[in-house]
Amino acid sequence: MLRVTGSEFRSNPQPATHNSTMIHFERTKLANGLTVIVHQDKTTPMVAVDVCYNVGSRDEHPDRTGFAHLFEHLMFGGSKHIPLYDEPLQKAGGDNNAFTSNDLTNYYLTLPKNNIETGFWLESDRMLELAFSKKSLDVQRNVVIEEFKQRQLNQPYGDVWPLLRQLAYKVHPYQWPTIGREISHIEKATMQQVKDFFFAHYAPDNAVLVVTGDVDFDQVVKLADRWFGPIPNRNVKPRNIPQEPEQTEIREQTVIRGVPNDTIYMAYHMSDRLDPMYYATDMVSDVLSNGNSSRMYLNLVQKEKLFTELDAYLSGDYEPGLFVVSGKPSDGVSLETARKAIERELDRMKQDRVPEYELEKVKNKVEANIVYGEMNYLTKAMNLATNEILDDASLINSQVESYREVTSEQIQEVSQHIFRPENCSVLNYIAKK
Amino acid sequence: MLNRKIQPIVNPIEHIDLVKAEKRMLSNGIPVHFVNAGTQNVVKIDFIFEAGTWFQKSNLVASLCNSMIEEGSENYTAAEIAEKVDFYGAYIQLTVDQNQGFVSVVSLGKYLPAILGVMEDLIKRSVFPEYELEVLIDKNKQKWLLENEKVRTLCQKKFTQVMFGDAHPYAINNKLEDFDLIKRGDLMQFYHAFYHSGNCHIIAAGMIDEQVLGLLDKHFGGSDWGHNQVAKPEYEICTDPVKMHHVEKSGGIQSAIRVGKFWVPKTHRDYHALSILVTIFGGYFGSRLMTNIREEKGYTYGIGSFVLTLKQASYLVISTEVGNEYVEPTLAEIAVEMKRLQTELVSENELETVKSYLLGEFLRDFDGPFALAGSFKAINDFDLDYSFYDEALKVLRNITSAELRTLALQYLNPEDFYTVVAGSK
Repeated sequence: MLRVTGSEFRSNPQPATHNSTMIHFERTKLANGLTVIVHQDKTTPMVAVDVCYNVGSRDEHPDRTGFAHLFEHLMFGGSKHIPLYDEPLQKAGGDNNAFTSNDLTNYYLTLPKNNIETGFWLESDRMLELAFSKKSLDVQRNVVIEEFKQRQLNQPYGDVWPLLRQLAYKVHPYQWPTIGREISHIEKATMQQVKDFFFAHYAPDNAVLVVTGDVDFDQVVKLADRWFGPIPNRNVKPRNIPQEPEQTEIREQTVIRGVPNDTIYMAYHMSDRLDPMYYATDMVSDVLSNGNSSRMYLNLVQKEKLFTELDAYLSGDYEPGLFVVSGKPSDGVSLETARKAIERELDRMKQDRVPEYELEKVKNKVEANIVYGEMNYLTKAMNLATNEILDDASLINSQVESYREVTSEQIQEVSQHIFRPENCSVLNYIAKK
Repeated sequence: MLNRKIQPIVNPIEHIDLVKAEKRMLSNGIPVHFVNAGTQNVVKIDFIFEAGTWFQKSNLVASLCNSMIEEGSENYTAAEIAEKVDFYGAYIQLTVDQNQGFVSVVSLGKYLPAILGVMEDLIKRSVFPEYELEVLIDKNKQKWLLENEKVRTLCQKKFTQVMFGDAHPYAINNKLEDFDLIKRGDLMQFYHAFYHSGNCHIIAAGMIDEQVLGLLDKHFGGSDWGHNQVAKPEYEICTDPVKMHHVEKSGGIQSAIRVGKFWVPKTHRDYHALSILVTIFGGYFGSRLMTNIREEKGYTYGIGSFVLTLKQASYLVISTEVGNEYVEPTLAEIAVEMKRLQTELVSENELETVKSYLLGEFLRDFDGPFALAGSFKAINDFDLDYSFYDEALKVLRNITSAELRTLALQYLNPEDFYTVVAGSK
């Protein structure tokens, strides 16, 4: 029941679709710039209404980090004409949640289909304007500070991601986590900053509305026109984010923390989400660590017993992201030995082509995961929305093909490109003895 | 003219389609309950054994036995099992709770024939190789160390110990040393005693047709994996007489809190009405506890109250993590909210809100194959039938504020509750 926020995606966060079960959707754009997408699923008595804003922690000022996420909390503190968000939704049998990432902020609710209009009423009013109540800001600042403690400060290994991001990015705003770089940024947030942030980013021309369930396109467009149509276009400026320069030498940081086990993290810069090599990169992580038959698990956890946990995954960021390998060495195995073992597996990816059978296995797994992800009207809404913010909702219907087309040559090529020492940031996380 | 101040007309939820699970017997008498629903050709099959921690003679045996099931069988090594499962994009999930052990598989329908062949071997003929056991124990030791750094784990462990007494299987009291006492022979003995056809039932959800049922009978309907039923041990609950407990975890900046008491079973006449009361108290985002302690005071990221229903006992627990400086005020406000429910009538508006919310939840609980299977399991585990849900709906539609206050007076007395705080004092 908690609002999920500020979490980093782990590998392969955007399931695509299986070529034999295309997700049919229709799309239009209102005069004020709001994109509307509808997918009909007649098997459910519910509808999902998903509003995704093209704003994340990458859009924050370096001295005011954590703002996009704090804002997500404020979006539940009442809007211009509606003092309470949750209560009327619950009265209509609805439920809701939201999350913020580096790239976007997504709000979603589900309702019995005959109460769909309440969803439009609530979401359009908070896109129109928030209540900007002082009380809400005061309380949510505190809630977010407790969330900061719960996720990051009072959690073993809670500061790994912030440390790793700071090490890997020197210029790009991906260097701070969505919850914020430090608590003081949240403490100091003022009402004027909140208002400025709202009008700069929360706008029909910077958002996507997706509706899924037993609804038809015309009905949704009519409702969208009625409730969202009158919201003014806010001429949101295209983002201008400083790009991270290419890393030229290996970076390494060692920290000592009160945790039970030493852990090693190795982060390599990789492509953005729209790069044609993205799919091959994702499959590199699958070959290495997706499932108990994957290479790193089989060789280093099971056979050599060098690690008790070992994972390879992508950060999943829209702009150039990170390929991360993290491992907990077994008792008595040094971080140095652990690192060499990881590098050995990465070198194999660079030297030898992945055999056809292994490639087929990884592709089957990707395809199955995509089908599993399509079983629910809400997941479909979220996938359509986040892909539309990325570039185009129809990506969910072409991704299986994109994975299927990946060749062993491409996997080798992308491995050679990524797994270079000078492209790597190493975090040695040492347990205090 | 659009009036944004007024909520569009809300239509009451009148019809809820309570799709029921169907039942079949395999040739050897294993009951199969199945829900044929969904749009994708996906199947989830749960093989459920009465093999939870209740039945173990020493700590960790039930869970490690369960985890070892995919680590090698007569015809497949652990690596070969993993290879096949991954190749077909399937997932094996192994879990235990207090009463049951689960071997579950999720697969695309088209690969089920191949997957079930593997499942048959590992369920019926698991061999518990020594080497894989060592690896598993090392992995679990590290996980244990990590979990036991968290205040919420320490708090939950202590809370179950206070409620049930250390020796009761509903108390979580595993220790790091327990891993060193694990012997392969004990796990195998547990496996042979509890993982067999006489102690199994199956729940299947997704696209379940005659072919799937036929496959289940082919692989699991034989007389080749039955054993004698093992008697269920008896345990007595020994609740700690002390109501307030602290677990010290130095250096932390937040504390975990559990406040709870024993609760009525699902068969009790007050069960459904109390579920509504618990929802108002702390069971949804607009609950009293969330509104007061998160949304008014900002002491926490989240707080909730839940009822955990087990076979031998049920309890209500309020659970949260708060900054150390907010522990005392939070405990005070929890008591204040109980008192309010005992003295003030829930307003018509609030009651209407929670009723609608719960009706919406009802729709969600009966939407899609996996939710339908879950709703079936929630009654089947307690030998109840679907009239349980008819009754729940009836109570939900008719409950009054006066009845809720009467229940609060009986069930929500702050002095009846046990409190555990884990953190730095």
